[in-house]
Amino acid sequence: MKYFKLPDLGEGLQEAEIVEWHVKPGEHIKADQLMVSVETAKAIVEVPSPQDGIIQTFFGGVGDMIHVGEPLVEFAGEEQEDSGTVVGKMQTQAASPVNDDYFIIGASDGHTQANKRCSPSVRALAKRMNLDLDLIEASGGHGLITADDVERALQLREEKGEQIKLRGVRRSMAKNMTKANEEVVQVTIFDDADLQNWPKASDPTMRLIRAIATACKVEPYLNAWYDGKAMALRPLKTIDLGIAVDTPDGLFVPVLRNIGNRDISDLRKGLDRLRADVKARTIPPSEMINPGITLSNYGTIVGKYANPIVVPPTVCIIGAGAIRDSVVAENGAPAVHKIMPISLSFDHRPVTGGEAARFFKAFKEDLERAE
Amino acid sequence: MNKPDTREMTMVEAVNLALSCEMRKDENVVILGEDVGTNGGVFRATDGLKAEFGLRRVMDTPLAETLIAGISVGMACQGLRPVAEIQFMGFMFAALEHILCHAARMRNRTRGRLTCPLVLRIPYGGGIHAPEHHSESTEAIFAHTPGLRVVVPSSPKRAYGLLLAAIRDPDPVIFLEPTRIYRLTKQIVVDDSEALPLDVCYTLRPGEDITLISWGAMIVETLQAAKHLAEQGISAEVIDVTTIKPLDMDTILSSVKKTGRCVIIHEAAKTCGVGAEISAQIAERALMDLQAPIKRVCGYDTIMPYFRNEHYYMPSVNDIVSAAKETFHYK
Amino acid sequence: MDHGDTSKRGSPELRAQFNIHYYQYLNEEGKPQTTLPHFTEDTALLLKLYDAMVMTRLLDKKCIALQRTGKMGTYPSVLGQEAVGVGIGFAMRSNDVFVPYYRDMATQIIRGVDIKDILLCWGGDERGNNFKNAREDFPCCVPIATQITHAAGVASAIKLRHQTRAVVTTAGDGATSRGDFAETVNLAGTWQLPLVIVINNNQWAISVPINLQTAAKTLAQKGIAGGIHSEQVDGCDIIAVYDAVTQALKRAYEGKGPTLIEAITYRLSDHTTADDATRYRPPDAVKDGWKMEPIKRFRNFLYERQIWDEEQEKQLYQRCEQKISQAVDDYLNTQAEAPEAMFDYLYQELPENLHEQRQQLINKSGHKHHE
Repeated sequence: MKYFKLPDLGEGLQEAEIVEWHVKPGEHIKADQLMVSVETAKAIVEVPSPQDGIIQTFFGGVGDMIHVGEPLVEFAGEEQEDSGTVVGKMQTQAASPVNDDYFIIGASDGHTQANKRCSPSVRALAKRMNLDLDLIEASGGHGLITADDVERALQLREEKGEQIKLRGVRRSMAKNMTKANEEVVQVTIFDDADLQNWPKASDPTMRLIRAIATACKVEPYLNAWYDGKAMALRPLKTIDLGIAVDTPDGLFVPVLRNIGNRDISDLRKGLDRLRADVKARTIPPSEMINPGITLSNYGTIVGKYANPIVVPPTVCIIGAGAIRDSVVAENGAPAVHKIMPISLSFDHRPVTGGEAARFFKAFKEDLERAE
Repeated sequence: MNKPDTREMTMVEAVNLALSCEMRKDENVVILGEDVGTNGGVFRATDGLKAEFGLRRVMDTPLAETLIAGISVGMACQGLRPVAEIQFMGFMFAALEHILCHAARMRNRTRGRLTCPLVLRIPYGGGIHAPEHHSESTEAIFAHTPGLRVVVPSSPKRAYGLLLAAIRDPDPVIFLEPTRIYRLTKQIVVDDSEALPLDVCYTLRPGEDITLISWGAMIVETLQAAKHLAEQGISAEVIDVTTIKPLDMDTILSSVKKTGRCVIIHEAAKTCGVGAEISAQIAERALMDLQAPIKRVCGYDTIMPYFRNEHYYMPSVNDIVSAAKETFHYK
Repeated sequence: MDHGDTSKRGSPELRAQFNIHYYQYLNEEGKPQTTLPHFTEDTALLLKLYDAMVMTRLLDKKCIALQRTGKMGTYPSVLGQEAVGVGIGFAMRSNDVFVPYYRDMATQIIRGVDIKDILLCWGGDERGNNFKNAREDFPCCVPIATQITHAAGVASAIKLRHQTRAVVTTAGDGATSRGDFAETVNLAGTWQLPLVIVINNNQWAISVPINLQTAAKTLAQKGIAGGIHSEQVDGCDIIAVYDAVTQALKRAYEGKGPTLIEAITYRLSDHTTADDATRYRPPDAVKDGWKMEPIKRFRNFLYERQIWDEEQEKQLYQRCEQKISQAVDDYLNTQAEAPEAMFDYLYQELPENLHEQRQQLINKSGHKHHE
């Protein structure tokens, strides 16, 4: 700096009297070297030099009163700081970071716009009639929704009823099922599990969970993720079982983690908590992602065999039908046993029929055991 | 082959770099204006140029804006490429006659025999707490005049490339330099003599939900607004118009057709500002793609207030965010 | 002008004074008033000067007739002021640059501009400004005095490039009231530009007589304010005009700076064909004005020198009428340009966004055009 001004001496003191100069004009001075002593109302203050330099002039002699902010000393050869303007004040960023400047010349790549196109008056008409533009089919040129299209949608609603847009969980389900249908090559095997040996008060869900865990150890490829694009299969380290739960809001699939390494009571507690959270709609999204294999226990409602849908990236889903009394052959004679119809759907792109069958066999055998 | 000089610099330094670069390349490029020589320009935009190129090519003119513009016309018709500086847009009006009546028309009225490749550099816009008349934004006057180009950079890198393009352009270019961002940020600029294209908009931030259109210093607020909107789940596409005239409506329309919603932001007064032209063209050519009315966030239709209340006049980040949200949520 | 009684104000030092000299060689009757310049030995030159003045007058008359018969637009007559344009035209070299106002067709024709082009300009066709010769000369200038500033720009370019040539610009008396004039005089002086400014003081700026235009005794002295060589000439004396401009150009070529020449004439016609001077000018004033006129006095001088006679006069008139007639025919037979031409010289390359408008115009006008 060129001019050093009397600094703030603290404690609200606004002025000081010069008592003694410790340097002379023309002299070299180093930063922090004692430059001048001044006396305030309270004390004598030693003022050090703010920088290395050569003193050009003093602005006051011994005995002079000088105010805070007034020039004390002029340094030789320094330039007055260039304000870089002739009027006003230019703002600079304090510590201007290198400003990364991203730009595209012209337009950015847009996906084709998804918005429905129509004139403002047609838009207003649809709004008055409480019709969602997204649900109206466009017949006009350039994909425009015309007034006729709106009239037609109105009439349809009158005759056939309101059209409800899928939202939330149901919407996700529609998306996932469509994707599954497009990608997966699905095969389903059916069988019956004979539960005659089950002790009374067995918990079917817990037995199913255990059976699945057992089967996964026999044929790990059924507990895996398949990337159809990369054509790569990832057999999973843990068995995270997605359990389809039906609620008034739609199909939820909370995931019971690591069923291969947990004991029954822990699994039971975990399952109960998941069910409660789903019912209360407090289940966080993190509890519903990334299952490795899925169980659809539709038998709790009704049904025998089914081909439940394999949702990528998983490759296997097990369906459990309703347990019922059925006539079976035992030692050549008819007998009434409790049987559970079971179904296994798998993705035949990465998984062979043999692997699926052996998995299913292991599953069935574990399910049929007494304990 | 020498590696080109690469440095972090402010916009005003980038302007300086472009000038020296082109003056070395083309001996017909000359600089004139008040205080541009010895003083290096009141904003230091022409700093060092007189030392390097001499007083014949860097001329300190008398205090006479009409003269500056008029002799630029004469020089340009002789094949020089004058880059004249009008110190502030507020003082530009005395130069208007030569720009509108002569520079813009010379090629046309002589059927191409005489042409006017001049550049008029003008620091413009408010926000530097300056005395009155130092904060004008009247780009609409130039934008209305056939035969001119009007270019407004918003970053150091683009200022460098666009100024080179302006000087090389065979027709008159009004190059408006927003004073508020002269020194606001620094960027790496490579002195590679590469011009950026004129007559085209620049997309500074791709987005899906709404298009924000602006230029000049307001780009700073617009980009900040886009950031705030992103935090609220709204993806804004930011377009820097850059060449106000001729307008690149293709880029603007492509964006508006994608998002269906747009807000135009400019510091200049609202009525008959350039935003009105953009608005009209969007309505003409993309009405059916709009999901909401076009909004303009602009300066008021008042004289720019003295600097104590300047910040009330200038559109703020909040103003832009509000307008964008209203537009986004419009049903 | 009263400079105040200096004796009562402390005897100040005299810092500046000025003289304006008035040059005239031939009086109103054409009689030499002093030793004539050397160039008057050159008979061929004298006859060329006379030829050109007669041509100008006849063409001027024709232009008014064309306007009055609806074949041309508004036209500013140069009646009585022929000597100014002719003197300038012959004094200039072909590589000098001429920057006119709008009463300068005499100079333009001498410098090689087709009469047809001049007619096209006043006839509302821009192609008239695309001169085939004198390609650096500026077209006529409507915004008063702005051409003077352009001329300074041209002169600056010439000086910058160390070229030995100069710029002549003309303007009327009214122009000297305008900022462009003052700013240019100032600049020409400080930058010592190779510029000659010739003011055609024909005493009238439309309806405003010179004594209401300024309080200055001469217009020439406005150049003194910029520190440049300034003089007055009798603008109806072709010898004086030619001499003054030649001297001024010599000064310019030799790097000795600019000159302001005030040529005093009388506007014998209306300001333009759209003006009716009888509304503000008494007929007596015009009658007096005719006494000054340049052609009659020079003819007398030539007769006196015995280098001109009636027969030559008759032949000259015939020659001129024929040339004019040919040019007028050419002009009247020139078809209007295709309307889309209004887009074609807007920029070097028409920007994308204007192609649509251009096409609209083509469609509207139904013109067959060449791409």
